[in-house]
Amino acid sequence: MEIKVLAFAGSPRRGGNSETLLDWVISAMEQEGGVAIEKVALTEANVNPCRGCNACEKLNKCVQRDGMDYLHDRIIDADCIILSAPIYCMGICAQAKALIDRFQVFRSRKYVLKLPIVPPERKGTRMGVFLSTAGQKWDHVFDGAVPSVKCFFHVVDIPDRDIRYLMVNGVDEKGAILSHPTAERDAGQLGRDVVGELRKRRGE
Amino acid sequence: MPGSWGGTLWENSGRDGESDMPVRVIGLSGSPHRHGNTERLLDAFLAGAEEGGGDVEKVVLKDLSYTPCRGCNACHKTGECIVRDDAIPLFDRILSSDCLAVASPIYSMGITAELKGLIDRAQFLWARKFILKTMYFSDDHVRRHKGIFISTAGLSWDNVFDAAFPAVTAFFNTLGFEYYDNIIANNMDQYGGIQGHPTALAEARKKGLSVVGVIRKLKGDS
Repeated sequence: MEIKVLAFAGSPRRGGNSETLLDWVISAMEQEGGVAIEKVALTEANVNPCRGCNACEKLNKCVQRDGMDYLHDRIIDADCIILSAPIYCMGICAQAKALIDRFQVFRSRKYVLKLPIVPPERKGTRMGVFLSTAGQKWDHVFDGAVPSVKCFFHVVDIPDRDIRYLMVNGVDEKGAILSHPTAERDAGQLGRDVVGELRKRRGE
Repeated sequence: MPGSWGGTLWENSGRDGESDMPVRVIGLSGSPHRHGNTERLLDAFLAGAEEGGGDVEKVVLKDLSYTPCRGCNACHKTGECIVRDDAIPLFDRILSSDCLAVASPIYSMGITAELKGLIDRAQFLWARKFILKTMYFSDDHVRRHKGIFISTAGLSWDNVFDAAFPAVTAFFNTLGFEYYDNIIANNMDQYGGIQGHPTALAEARKKGLSVVGVIRKLKGDS
């Protein structure tokens, strides 16, 4: 059975550094064969921010009708979820934060309603990948983003041990990542490693 | 009389060493949820500021029409944002304020997308300050402009606000405000909301009253 990968390009800038990082990862995954990848650009996904109404704690679904209706089942079906997003003003860009906050429906399902996110046999078989870029060179530039990214994955049954990160700082203008000394190689390696790990977990 | 002269520009306060200029306080409510815990904490802060004689304005971000930053970097060359919407006049109002209170609940360990959307839009001011160097705040200006972060979180974790601080710090820094204080309260789920918290609302009011006095004194000294 094919490995299903759902890959979010979270940047408002198409073809920029974080999306390039994503493209490198998914192209390495594709080369491994047996991988079905769906890439979703948030600029076209029509995902609105969470309204904080908490209705999902009772309804087990979101009251908003938008692009999340399309994404919901794909998020559950995916064996691997990848989120790529740039750092703006020391945090994840607002577009990606909106997607993260809309995962509230999964949080309510898991922690409030105590219902399963994936069937029991799929628990522990899923992985998450966070790819990010930042213009600043500071080491701590990703610190504000990572806790929200962990929430994003935790609520869909992807615990810390199953999250992989590739975060590249010091790339600002569009295309800057192309001249980064290690980013492309690291992205390719990450893509291959994740596919290998997912196969192992399926006993293939 | 406290609260009566806030909007009257040139009336003398009659106190030696203190400025006659009103202390302008702007509070941004970044919650999509009206009159929830965070907005009520902001309201308490603003009520205290008004009591202290501040000229107070509250802006509910969800009522404005603005889009997040597009990351086009056009402002790096021009210092202007190509997107003309409600964010632009709001930044003018923020820059003419003495105190900026930024309020957001914690969603998924961070500030709301609404507030982050506005913070990201400050990029054109960041560009003026750090790239084009057409905007500059003296140390004295920053000392006289106070930024306050107001937040609530459902969870009891001590670290639940940590990931919000860097973006708020960057926002205050770009806009020339000293990051003066936090008014934060966690464990809302346990307390059954802000009204159940033993000290948060009273503390917010007190801090609002106090910061206006501090700023007035600083303006008088300058």
